[in-house]
Amino acid sequence: MDELEFQKRVYANPEEVDQEVLDAARDNPAYQKILDQARELNAAVTSLVNNISVPSGLADKLGAIPADDEAATKIASKPAANSNFFQYYAIAASLILALGVTFSIIYNNEPAVSDLAFGDDILRHLYYEAAEIESMQSVIALSTVTAVMASAGSQLVANELLQGLSVVMAKPCVILAAYQSAHLVLEGAQGAVNVIVINNSPVAVEFSFRDDRFEGMVIPLGDGGNLVLVGEKNENLDLYKDLFSENVEWVI
Amino acid sequence: MSDTPVLKGSNKRQRYESLVADLYQDVYRYAFWLCRRQPLAEDLVQETFLRAWRSLDSLQNDKAAKAWLFTILRRENARLYERYRPELVDIEGQSIAESDENEPDSKMDRELLHNAINRLDSDYREPLLLQVIGGFSGKEIAAILNLNNNTVMTRLFRARGKLKQEFILDADGFDD
Repeated sequence: MDELEFQKRVYANPEEVDQEVLDAARDNPAYQKILDQARELNAAVTSLVNNISVPSGLADKLGAIPADDEAATKIASKPAANSNFFQYYAIAASLILALGVTFSIIYNNEPAVSDLAFGDDILRHLYYEAAEIESMQSVIALSTVTAVMASAGSQLVANELLQGLSVVMAKPCVILAAYQSAHLVLEGAQGAVNVIVINNSPVAVEFSFRDDRFEGMVIPLGDGGNLVLVGEKNENLDLYKDLFSENVEWVI
Repeated sequence: MSDTPVLKGSNKRQRYESLVADLYQDVYRYAFWLCRRQPLAEDLVQETFLRAWRSLDSLQNDKAAKAWLFTILRRENARLYERYRPELVDIEGQSIAESDENEPDSKMDRELLHNAINRLDSDYREPLLLQVIGGFSGKEIAAILNLNNNTVMTRLFRARGKLKQEFILDADGFDD
């Protein structure tokens, strides 16, 4: 066996060489050195590559996927109700001791690094969802919107403006697994407008974020929640900010 | 053949839980080296297992579960990079264990090796990662990467050769 052939067989997998290679190494000190070096290097590579700290809590998040997915599927598969159902729901909801949404827009505070990282998380989530969002063409039933909002402990207060919106997608967020959240997609002037209602407070300061494609804002809600709005560049998000700030209530 | 355990349990939920328990760490490490960012790797793993859960019934041979998961992960990673190209940063140092009896002798050596692995062209890095993280055979790697076995073995040889060139100063004989 010539040296190049020997090296090829050793370096393809130093830990599983055949008897012919072992015999060649035994009979030739130079070959034995090549084998020893390859194994030493391989041990270092294997150790380094596998010494990655796995995030704590990842197993729990993965374990929760079936329950989350089944819940999302259940909501999505609910038959569309007529508009009377939505109105009934809104009226009934008004009897619930709901906390009105107030905005605490704190202009004097700067977002923390963790807040900005949350903006990155949102953008990453949207890129994951982009293909599905772009495929959504049909307006969905308001009852589906209501059910998804309820899954995040929130509800929309019906009014003419809100019922006039074209909601093409509504589902609980899966990527933002740490939070109960509802993700709505509306038809905006520049493309899809994403409205994400989150039932706790990962962010306490209002701030904006953007990349080459999207512009967004995170708005802390006074009673412990966040409203996230993201649209394509040049979308007028203030319209949606005003609309949703006046039409979201918490029920949990 | 990689040492994929046979999934325990008779119903879908039990099979899934067995899949997570047995394989999530290897899947995460592979994701981490593929995308080089911890939060992105975690997202990739979650998306991989979500897709695995939804199509678990299509996994007929439990012994192929690891290769199946790694294949899903590669596709997810490719999908992500079709739409989103984050500015890559080097792997966070804190994610690499500080010491181990089999590791290179010093932190500098670990960094050199770590950087050398990152500089490998993906054609060489991917089969190497599949072998040292997944424990896959040449044939299994060939199936995952849709290559023939000889090409995989050549790439593994060249991958280690390139690492040797960078990591062991007196290396020679590894021409492309």
